[in-house]
Amino acid sequence: MTNPEPVYDVVWPLAPSAAPSGVLAARSPELDGKTVGELWDYLFKGEEIFPLIRRALAARYPSIRFVEYERLGSTHGRDEAELARTLPEALRKHGCDAVISAVGA
Amino acid sequence: MLRAAAIAERAGVPSVSIVTTPFMQQAAVVSKGVGLPSLPIAEYPGVPMTDGPEAVARKVEALLPQIIAGLAGARDVARAAVAEPPPREIVYRGSLEEIQEHFHEHLWSDGLPVIPPTLAHVERFLAHTRRAPDDVIGRLLPENRAATIWSIAVNGVMAGCRPEYMPVLVAIVEAIAEPIFRVEDAGSTPGWEPLVIVSGPIARRLDLNHGQGVMRVGRQANTTLGRFLRLYLRNVAGLRIPPGAGDKGSIAGSFNVALAEDEAAAAALGWPTFGADQGFTREDSVVTVQSVVSISPPIYSAGTRALEHARILAEVFGGACGYWSSIGMKYARWEPLLVLGPSIARVIAEDGWSKDDLRRYLHEHVTITARQAETYALQVGATSYTLEAHVKAGVLPAAYALSTDPERTVPVFVQPEKIGILVAGDPGRNQSKGYVNNHIQGGRVSKRI
Repeated sequence: MTNPEPVYDVVWPLAPSAAPSGVLAARSPELDGKTVGELWDYLFKGEEIFPLIRRALAARYPSIRFVEYERLGSTHGRDEAELARTLPEALRKHGCDAVISAVGA
Repeated sequence: MLRAAAIAERAGVPSVSIVTTPFMQQAAVVSKGVGLPSLPIAEYPGVPMTDGPEAVARKVEALLPQIIAGLAGARDVARAAVAEPPPREIVYRGSLEEIQEHFHEHLWSDGLPVIPPTLAHVERFLAHTRRAPDDVIGRLLPENRAATIWSIAVNGVMAGCRPEYMPVLVAIVEAIAEPIFRVEDAGSTPGWEPLVIVSGPIARRLDLNHGQGVMRVGRQANTTLGRFLRLYLRNVAGLRIPPGAGDKGSIAGSFNVALAEDEAAAAALGWPTFGADQGFTREDSVVTVQSVVSISPPIYSAGTRALEHARILAEVFGGACGYWSSIGMKYARWEPLLVLGPSIARVIAEDGWSKDDLRRYLHEHVTITARQAETYALQVGATSYTLEAHVKAGVLPAAYALSTDPERTVPVFVQPEKIGILVAGDPGRNQSKGYVNNHIQGGRVSKRI
């Protein structure tokens, strides 16, 4: 006679989600006349990509303005808490209505 | 990058993020972790670092509708929280084999068999801490889960740890939850792996190996402590390789077993222990965690004078660090670790050198050219990086831009005091080994147990 195979009751190995709730900021349907900030991590050819985006958007929206990435500083390697503290103020200071963040690779 | 977009969104500023195709799954994990799973993304097809200017221009043109839609058209609605099992709920019942299958299917294991986390087994771990099971040490990105004492015990069970390891497990998680460790970047493409270093009396009590074969699997404490951390990063930080997501280590490596120092050998030399170097006393039990992105070859050095060993260490350890030092320079912070064989440490110390003397020698004698540093950084993706700009910005000391000659040499080790030195390994052989850390990702953090 063989022993029955043991059976185990096990618990969940993950931990409670700490992700905050939230929704995206409200959008304006019109980009013309708006100020777009450039958030760059100083990686992966942003110095080529942002000028191309700038030109393409300006051709479509003649009154669009840009706050170029040099004025907003690198988003890479910065302490997240410090970024969370300083970025909103920087966006307000430069009058950014929207931002393009790049480059995730 | 997505986290910056999330900060903007929460400040009321709409965003769109440019993400390359191979990173779309990771982007989904990060977006969910920051609580904005609908963060607008414009998908750049392919790998920009292998695209020429024409391909970049063509692809950016194709991105435009997504950029406009993200900035002007995206709409979002509040989402109800997804129900998750409470800690003590039994989520599965089965045989040992069935549990392995179930955990593999749900991506809850590391590919090795796990010890079933039963309530009774978890309770045995909890008996070794005074902290409450629902105490939260911190939150671990990118999946953004609460690092609870309960979850540490569960994953400790699964990794094959003994219950008495629990205080070490808690200290490990305290270390990786520190912002300076940057656990959110533990899934970055270099594929770095944390290294746990246990110092002080607890290393002896738990029978950690510090001698021959110290970094090989085989000793229970060293092995399961290392395995625990990798498992915890998967299950709580959400760093999973395919078919999961979140861990984008391109080639990466497997977990490091925990390292302990031959503290008696260090003390006999009159050298401070590694734990003392981190600011603790020899009586303190301490856990240190730091990243390791690559390992040097075994470094054999011979001779009766410190200088003979220092020269070889500078060549081989310095050489192993050289390529990656460009990224260390970019952030002006990195903390490589040199594990000195006891016999080599003895020769160096008996010749009158302190650890700081060795650090100073390495700082002064290990260099690369500015051209190499900038070229290596460019390959990784730092396409606009120059040493001169970093000196001008105050990130690097003036020594990195004394001229504009690309063939000028610059120190590989930005801050000599950050070179970790620890005595371990085979006392019967003249071998050392170097561990290169991943600059600001996985910064060295120590916690008293």
